[in-house]
Amino acid sequence: MIYDEPRFHIAGDRFIEVELGDEMSFDLNIAVHAFVGAIEEAQIDGVVELIAELASFQISYDPERINYHAVVREVLGVRAALEDTSNIDRASRLFYVPLFYFDPWTKECVDDYKATVVDKVSDPDLLCEVNDLPDRRALMRIHSGTEYWVASLGFWPGLCSLMPLDPRHELRAPKYNPPRTWTPKGTIGLGGALTSIYPDRTPGGYQIIARTPMPIWDREGRLPAFTESLALFRPGDRVRFIPIDQEEFDHIDAQVTAGTYEHPCVEHQIFSVSKYRQWRSKIVNGDTK
Amino acid sequence: MIEVIKPGLETGIQDLPGRIGFWSQGFPPSGPVDAWSFRLANLLVGNPRDAAALECQFVGPTLRFSNDGAIALTGAQMNATLDGAPAAMWETVPVRAGQILAMGAATNGARTYFAFSGGIDTPLVLGSRSTFHMAGVGGIEGYALKVGQSIPLGSASEVTPLRVPVELRPAITETRSWEVECMVGPNDDWLDPASVDTFFSSEWAVQARSNRTGVRLTGPEFVFSSKAHEKRPEHGNDPANILSHGYPLGGINLAGQTPIILINDAPSSGGFINPFTVPAAAFWKVGQARPGDKLHFTRVDLDGADKFRRKIDAICSAENLVAL
Repeated sequence: MIYDEPRFHIAGDRFIEVELGDEMSFDLNIAVHAFVGAIEEAQIDGVVELIAELASFQISYDPERINYHAVVREVLGVRAALEDTSNIDRASRLFYVPLFYFDPWTKECVDDYKATVVDKVSDPDLLCEVNDLPDRRALMRIHSGTEYWVASLGFWPGLCSLMPLDPRHELRAPKYNPPRTWTPKGTIGLGGALTSIYPDRTPGGYQIIARTPMPIWDREGRLPAFTESLALFRPGDRVRFIPIDQEEFDHIDAQVTAGTYEHPCVEHQIFSVSKYRQWRSKIVNGDTK
Repeated sequence: MIEVIKPGLETGIQDLPGRIGFWSQGFPPSGPVDAWSFRLANLLVGNPRDAAALECQFVGPTLRFSNDGAIALTGAQMNATLDGAPAAMWETVPVRAGQILAMGAATNGARTYFAFSGGIDTPLVLGSRSTFHMAGVGGIEGYALKVGQSIPLGSASEVTPLRVPVELRPAITETRSWEVECMVGPNDDWLDPASVDTFFSSEWAVQARSNRTGVRLTGPEFVFSSKAHEKRPEHGNDPANILSHGYPLGGINLAGQTPIILINDAPSSGGFINPFTVPAAAFWKVGQARPGDKLHFTRVDLDGADKFRRKIDAICSAENLVAL
């Protein structure tokens, strides 16, 4: 549900957790980002930074400049002046992310886990089972057949949580137990109802099915896409996955290594929340003409 | 310049307030875990208290100085020697070019802070010199010190030799038992109320699997409330799972049944609850606790945490240091 009023939770003497609801949905997430954006714009003295998440956000504040009660008061003031989020149009870049589905590196990673940690059904096959799909080609078709919404960033520099915008392309995925100790850089994983791109070789718990040669963060800021930020995505961006083969993977990888790769991105698009909602409700109601 | 002869165990450059403003993209604040000792080290060599200095963890480095200047060592005792003679802690130590400072393993506490007059002058990465070891950001080339590296220094003026009075130093325990101030929230309502009380009345042991992202603890099992069991499926299967949310520094993150105190390099978000949070002023204790040490958590409220933080903040001031 989406709560009528935000719920504030004290999180030590420098942080506050603000919950706006307890569900994972586009409607709640867009409300989180609209609220966080308005707080940022208000430039409340002593509010240091904000972390927007799926259904909640975290405020960091400097207790020498503002106290907890004043933060809550100021934030509620921002909310009172906030416009209805259901009709906003917002800037939203669209990234085309090349994906090599069922690639040899994620296979090697899963095989290593099966041999050294615990045996399991291979991740793509498990996703077919759980989502009632006949085979891997169907999984690829479903997974790559929708735009995704960058719902949140975090956990690791640049790591993104992606929500499918087309409800016909929602997939469910259980998480690893215990988690993997390593995952190849650029791996695509699914957990719960989210897709994520691993920015680097890190531990992980999502089911892994593909790999991209396109870097989503760069500690040296070498490629043109990282001149403004070391992390590629911003919340509210959109992602479309483009299936590629080994040859194309190697081609892009070579461009990345040479420092000449340009991230395929449509910069100037506006995402209309109201039009998206109309389209989605048509699909949900079975009227897809 | 300072030349690294031996790097020690994950010795990193840190500054304060650390890397601020990029957390939402996944870059944590970093900075020294024991900011109290860190600031005193800087003040002893005439630096601004938040200047970049070294955080030595468990085993300190061996360094050769290319400049005359002054150094200071604070925090854990690592039995440092300067050209073979014991180097004093908690006071200004003048050094000459060519001298070698050798640090050993910590005999109490876990982290020693080393400041040089003029401060460390590595390039700023996203506004900070702090090292985020896990992802290779900041410091020198992103990581802990390595053999043969040179640490650039800022320019310094004449340093007055000073000492930190004993009563103003953080009391790093010899008994390996710590009283750590801790606040309830943000997700305490996911636990059974009796389990909240058990947390504060129990003894917690620090696990060896601890680093600058988190300190893992061993202790009694947690019992969850109905909120943890009767939640929407997208929160996850484990009672401790919650829809991915922001992680506060100091949060006591419940990964299944293992509490992890999230410290300076902790992830910005994740899918486990944080029923308790260690306030800023108690971080130094978490930073100095060693594997096997015992922690007891003392409940404080916001007012208590504010008072404690201001007390330490007031201590970390140049006027409190006495002339040698």
